[in-house]
Amino acid sequence: MSLELEKVQVRYRGRTLFEPVTISIPKGEIATVMGPSGCGKSTLLAAIAGNLEHGFRVDGRISLNGRELHDTAMENRQVGILFQDDLLFPHFDVYGNLAFGLPAGLKRDVKEQRIMTALERAGLEDFARRDVATLSGGQKARVSLLRTILAEPEAVLLDEPFSRLDMVLRASFREFVHEQTRQRDIPALLVTHDEQDSCGGRIYELRGEELE
Amino acid sequence: MKQIKRMSLLGLMLMLLMQTAWAAGEDPEWQNILQKAEGQTVYFNAWGGSDVINDYIRWAGAQVKEKYGVQIKHVKVTDIGDVVGRILAEKSAGRTAGGTVDLVWINGENFRAMKENGLLHAPYTQLLPNYRLVDTENKPTTLMDFTVPVDNLEAPWGMAQLVFMYDSAKVAVPPRDMHELLQFARAHPGRVTYPAPPGFHGTTFIKQALLELTTTPEALAGPVAESDFAAVTAPLWAFLDELHPLMWRNGTTFTTGASEMKQLLNDGEILLSLSFNPNEAGNAIASGELPDTIRTYVHKDGTIGNTHFLAVVFNSSVAEGAMVFINFLMSPEAQARKEDPAVWGDPTILAMNKLSVEQKQLFENFPRGMATLSPGELGKVRLEPHASWVEALEKAWIARYSK
Amino acid sequence: MKSRLRVFPLLTLSAFCVPILLGLFGTWLPAFGYLPAIGAEDFNLHNFRELFVHPAFPGALRASLISGFGATLLALFCSIWITLSIYGSLLWRLLVRLLSPLLAVPHAAFAIGFTFLVAPSGLLVRCISPELTGFAAPPDWQTVKDPYGLSLTLALACKEIPFLLLMCISGLNQLDIRRTDWIGRSLGYSRVRIWTRLVLPRLYPQLRLPVLAVLAYSLSVVDVAIILGPSLPPTLAVLVDRWFNDADVTSRLLGAAGATWLFLLVACSIGLFLAAEKLITTCAAGRLVNGSRTTVLDKVRWLGNTLAVAVMAVSALCFIVLLIWSFARSYRFPDLLPTMYSLQFWTKGLDHATEPLYITFVVGALATCAGIILVIGCLENEVRMQQRGRRANGQQIMWLVYMPLLVPQIAFLFGIQTSAVLLHLEGKWLSMVGIHLVFVLPYIFLTLSNVYRSFDARYMQVAVALSGSPIQSFFRVKLPMLLKPVAFAMATGFAVSVAQYLPTMYIGAGRFMTITTETVSLAGGSDRRVIAVYALCQFLLPLLVYCLALFLPAWLFRQRKAMQN
Repeated sequence: MSLELEKVQVRYRGRTLFEPVTISIPKGEIATVMGPSGCGKSTLLAAIAGNLEHGFRVDGRISLNGRELHDTAMENRQVGILFQDDLLFPHFDVYGNLAFGLPAGLKRDVKEQRIMTALERAGLEDFARRDVATLSGGQKARVSLLRTILAEPEAVLLDEPFSRLDMVLRASFREFVHEQTRQRDIPALLVTHDEQDSCGGRIYELRGEELE
Repeated sequence: MKQIKRMSLLGLMLMLLMQTAWAAGEDPEWQNILQKAEGQTVYFNAWGGSDVINDYIRWAGAQVKEKYGVQIKHVKVTDIGDVVGRILAEKSAGRTAGGTVDLVWINGENFRAMKENGLLHAPYTQLLPNYRLVDTENKPTTLMDFTVPVDNLEAPWGMAQLVFMYDSAKVAVPPRDMHELLQFARAHPGRVTYPAPPGFHGTTFIKQALLELTTTPEALAGPVAESDFAAVTAPLWAFLDELHPLMWRNGTTFTTGASEMKQLLNDGEILLSLSFNPNEAGNAIASGELPDTIRTYVHKDGTIGNTHFLAVVFNSSVAEGAMVFINFLMSPEAQARKEDPAVWGDPTILAMNKLSVEQKQLFENFPRGMATLSPGELGKVRLEPHASWVEALEKAWIARYSK
Repeated sequence: MKSRLRVFPLLTLSAFCVPILLGLFGTWLPAFGYLPAIGAEDFNLHNFRELFVHPAFPGALRASLISGFGATLLALFCSIWITLSIYGSLLWRLLVRLLSPLLAVPHAAFAIGFTFLVAPSGLLVRCISPELTGFAAPPDWQTVKDPYGLSLTLALACKEIPFLLLMCISGLNQLDIRRTDWIGRSLGYSRVRIWTRLVLPRLYPQLRLPVLAVLAYSLSVVDVAIILGPSLPPTLAVLVDRWFNDADVTSRLLGAAGATWLFLLVACSIGLFLAAEKLITTCAAGRLVNGSRTTVLDKVRWLGNTLAVAVMAVSALCFIVLLIWSFARSYRFPDLLPTMYSLQFWTKGLDHATEPLYITFVVGALATCAGIILVIGCLENEVRMQQRGRRANGQQIMWLVYMPLLVPQIAFLFGIQTSAVLLHLEGKWLSMVGIHLVFVLPYIFLTLSNVYRSFDARYMQVAVALSGSPIQSFFRVKLPMLLKPVAFAMATGFAVSVAQYLPTMYIGAGRFMTITTETVSLAGGSDRRVIAVYALCQFLLPLLVYCLALFLPAWLFRQRKAMQN
């Protein structure tokens, strides 16, 4: 169960971008996909999330907890994403950004409680009403992950989320990510070109197809 | 001997074709004007809504450029009233020379306004050699413009008469007076309209209706201030109030002028149109703008006719050039071309008995198309009301119907 | 270099501030009864009283408000909905490619084409007549010049959508739409919700000024309203224009009062728009994070595709119907196509249009050249100031740049005209180019500023280090590298100049007959075939210049691969 990729390949105008990959990630584990830049790591993530641009085609099977993702619309896949840039919404404060991730229909106090609990766990309890532009890099990264997690995804994709952070922050944030996914008991897939980023799960290598 | 003969023949031809130049030879004042005119650029502000007229003006401009070195620029205006306003503003601002308008195509209330405000060049038409050929005896409107004395301040250019048009393929019998028009509108709801005043076609239609309907037509000959406007015009408003709901767009929208009416007639949106040019239908058929089933008609008690004029503006710095151009436009050559239905079809202001045989020949044998009425069919020409009625009627019309 | 460059902002500012302020005061004084030229010398409110009781005033005001607000809201809604629905799709790419030619279409030519299209005898009714409708004669429908100004509203909206789309694109370029969309959807939000909650709140600030410019324009447009607007009474702007040109000179006072009223109306409308925006932002703030993932609007997302296709189709049809008419000889209702064709209107029309085209070209070219010099001077000054650590206030600059687009033309041109008459500047090349410059400048600035500011300063550092001369480096390195955007900005400026109607009428004194003034005056009532030829000429002139601007830099640098994009 959990996130399964079977002989997944992406084509663009008839050309395959990388060799077929087969990946299986159990719940609570963070698997790592390694590869040099330009080998198609982000494309693989887009294929899983369902966000490929016009003209791309996915071969192979992708399933999440037994659900076939192939024909599921992106917004219904319940696959969260975290980029190296925090991409916090600048027109909301920290609280607003997190509230945006929460499911609809929650009562105001439930909402507040969930957000405050999440912030406390991240050590950001005093930051609820802060403008996101005033946060430090590490703080932004945490809020960003919290937002992803609060939406209750069934899997999380991590697109080089550590590369903008310095060595000290990197370690602590990696730990934070690990903790969060384990707590939620969901699979996560990390792509990176840096072996040190790996979070303990299995490591796969992605080989791009040679250009003619 | 042979050479002398050829030269005399050439001289004769020159004499005949260009009486202008010949006459000019005698008159030092005119000679002086011709000299000054050379190289001048004249801005001629004239209604630009008709393609055939624009073409004609272009032709005339090219002629005087070649013959006298005068450059004509036709400033196409939608309503000459705008230009009168601008000239007045220039005068008010103390600009007594180098005005932006040199020559205007004008008549009626605009002439009156310019005359009253001193916007016209000093009397000059008596200086023009071709003015002697004008038929002032039989065409009284060349001397009295909407009953306002012309006083040599403007030069007659052409004769106009209000005519109506209909499509004989769709209408068997056109209405021959305003009462019949009302019945016609009742029988064909939404297919009759007229242009909105203060556009001159619209104002003319209103004046025609007033002339036909009022019980005191004699009041119209004098200034509006001397009569009871409400009483004189009451039958007109009653008529229009009845007509409007039956009209095109229920009388809430009007056309801008005869050109738009012509298009709507061609589209079949309306069944009757009007024009100030008796030859309009013929021209339009020739250019494919109207089908060849269009015919012209007039109302049985006659329609309004008038003369249109050319006036030099008081602050023009090129008055001489303008005069030379006017003189050319009054020449038999230019007048004959203007009357040619294939060119414009605007009746001449010249007196045939004042022309030489050759000149007279220029005016003969114009092919008159099916759509053009003969002078006899055009019937009685009704005189314009006094110029002061124009503004009063326009104001009253706008106050009643422009809501 | 430093002190010399500082002239440019001053020059540019005075190039458009002086005429506008002069014109506004020159209109306000007569509005309050002071116009010594016609003997009115005492200040009073008489003209305003006369304005408010004028029989045409209520109807004119109503038509102006309907077309002004209607066109703005419609254009805003449509452009946002189109962007939302098709952003990134193939249709979007097609639309983006078509934007430049769509923007180059002068308003007057578009309005004429639109009339030929939707009039009761127009192409659309012909398409289905008489087979489907049974019409042998055009129906008595008020599809153009209707008393409420609805056809005017529709045409204005159609014409403004491409402009707002362009502004959307430039705004979106500054946002990371692809990943915002990704995050939004990974959080489970629908496309519409992502746009209304994540994109629009950040995009709208970029659209604010363009939208206000569209509002001011739509409330006060004259040429399009003459062609398509109601006639009895016309819109307020047209009414004011008529009063200014009335044979009765005292009407000018009434016109000035009307123009001043229109100015206030536009100012209040802008205020109202800003207040409404504030209100919506405040009310929506809480809702934005209520977590609702979908909306009923998702079901009508397809409407955006339809709208996009409709905008393109209407523009294409406007062009086609003009083409048909220009080659027609006999073209009667309900024939779909002419029964007889002729080239005579083209041969004659081109011959006649030569001089207006020439005047249009020279005025446009001069104004554009002056404009590009001033704008580049300003931008270069700004860039250098920034390098020395001084920051210009971007928001303030933008409001200033937009000033000529926010103040209605009819509200200040009369004042300029009166001043020009006094100074004997009326109908001169200088005043003509000057007045066009006022409207050309903002567009050149808007099209060029972003690219110019983002030019990599290191190229200049290298060049100056090598040549030792900043001036030489500027002309030999920076300008050639920026040739493409500069050429494009110039083409835009030129297109704006071509489209000017009122400024040419008020300052030209009838001596400058541009292709636009000729076309509009012909449209007032002339042979449709002649109008079509003129409208096409008016359309083709800016289009040719656009093509030139696109191909000339590409051709010059055909051997330089990096310069192709």
